[in-house]
Amino acid sequence: MFKRLIKSFAGKVLDDQTSRPVSQIEFLKDFLSKHKYVYSHDFEENLIVLKRKHLVDSFLVTNLDGSIVVSSEGDGHTDGIMGTAMLSYIKSEMPDSESVLIKRNGHWFMLFPLNKKVFIVKAGSELANIELKALAFELDGLMQAGRHAEARNGEKKKVNQIA
Amino acid sequence: MGRVIAVASGKGGTGKTTITANLGIALARLGQKVLLIDADVAMANLSLILGMQSSPITLHDVLLGEAQVHDAIYDGPEGVRFIPSGLSLDNYKRVDSERLSSVVSQLTEQYDFILLDVAAGIEKNVLSALSASQETLMVTMPTSPAIADALKTKIVAQRLGSKVIGVIVNFVMNEKGEITKNDIANMLELPVYGNVPYDPEVRKSFMQEKVAPVIVRKPDCPASEEIARIASRITGLKVQEQANTKKVGFLEKLFSFFKKK
Repeated sequence: MFKRLIKSFAGKVLDDQTSRPVSQIEFLKDFLSKHKYVYSHDFEENLIVLKRKHLVDSFLVTNLDGSIVVSSEGDGHTDGIMGTAMLSYIKSEMPDSESVLIKRNGHWFMLFPLNKKVFIVKAGSELANIELKALAFELDGLMQAGRHAEARNGEKKKVNQIA
Repeated sequence: MGRVIAVASGKGGTGKTTITANLGIALARLGQKVLLIDADVAMANLSLILGMQSSPITLHDVLLGEAQVHDAIYDGPEGVRFIPSGLSLDNYKRVDSERLSSVVSQLTEQYDFILLDVAAGIEKNVLSALSASQETLMVTMPTSPAIADALKTKIVAQRLGSKVIGVIVNFVMNEKGEITKNDIANMLELPVYGNVPYDPEVRKSFMQEKVAPVIVRKPDCPASEEIARIASRITGLKVQEQANTKKVGFLEKLFSFFKKK
């Protein structure tokens, strides 16, 4: 009986041939630090953060007439006009369509309308509708926050001028 | 409005479904109105763990638009309510999991907690479940592959706007090579809601003529007790990393070794 108890105890303690995987712990800590997405007050910087966070190559927001509201690359007039024209055509033929995915030259172009704007996203692989929506909502939120900040700055300037 | 929590892990086999079932019951015991949804539309097995496999109307029917959500809700153990997913592979291929958000939003007023049992991986069905939830609770094991997958899932959940509230470490055996609770909290940058020990009673719960979650069958076993503590923390008691950890003396440890054998 006693022998069995001692054997059981020794087995539990001495048979544990495992050890703490320190290098893997460090690797995984480093992994998360590379995926931190913190927004700043700089709208242009935020666009870069958003691009990295949602793993896309570029995005463009246009009004329904194709004029550019925001571009992650600073240009994209042609893509904007083409994208909105295409979305407008598809919407006229299929009014209940939510988004449009096009594969061209090995890249995916995704068109998603939200709040009277068209979000045109370019990425290496197609995004699920849910991912596209998440990106569009987040970008829309940043744009609204940017507008509020601009309005606040404008008011401050006015106050300074009056003073 | 109730809290919608996705229970996710990234890696398969971490015990998400078992944790979801038992946590739901533990929350119900605390007087909460709880709805469990099997959001793993491809590999549904929450109904098997709850011992409720013969449900005629499932989430598949609701997502296909062929049934109303209220017709797919069943009474589970100890006051928990439950929406099963179908086991049919044909329907799985036809369902639009993106409709899950609108299904969940119809139910949030009626429950204190809606727990979504999320599939492994980060495919479309998983994205749908994470997107349908306001909060995500991670389940992992104290090993690096499980934590690596949990990290990825955390990043994906945040991308979709779901707040990752914490992590449950499952299958803890207190071996030297296990990654500790503190390391896991640091690596995932999340509070650890609980350390559920490896407990043979959990496995035995599936091996009965009448299957019942371990918290129902053996409420006093170590895994059940820890899940009950996690439920208390989720309902609002502050997560205290060390305060609830009972100091175990040498003799007590010694006797518990013999007892386990």
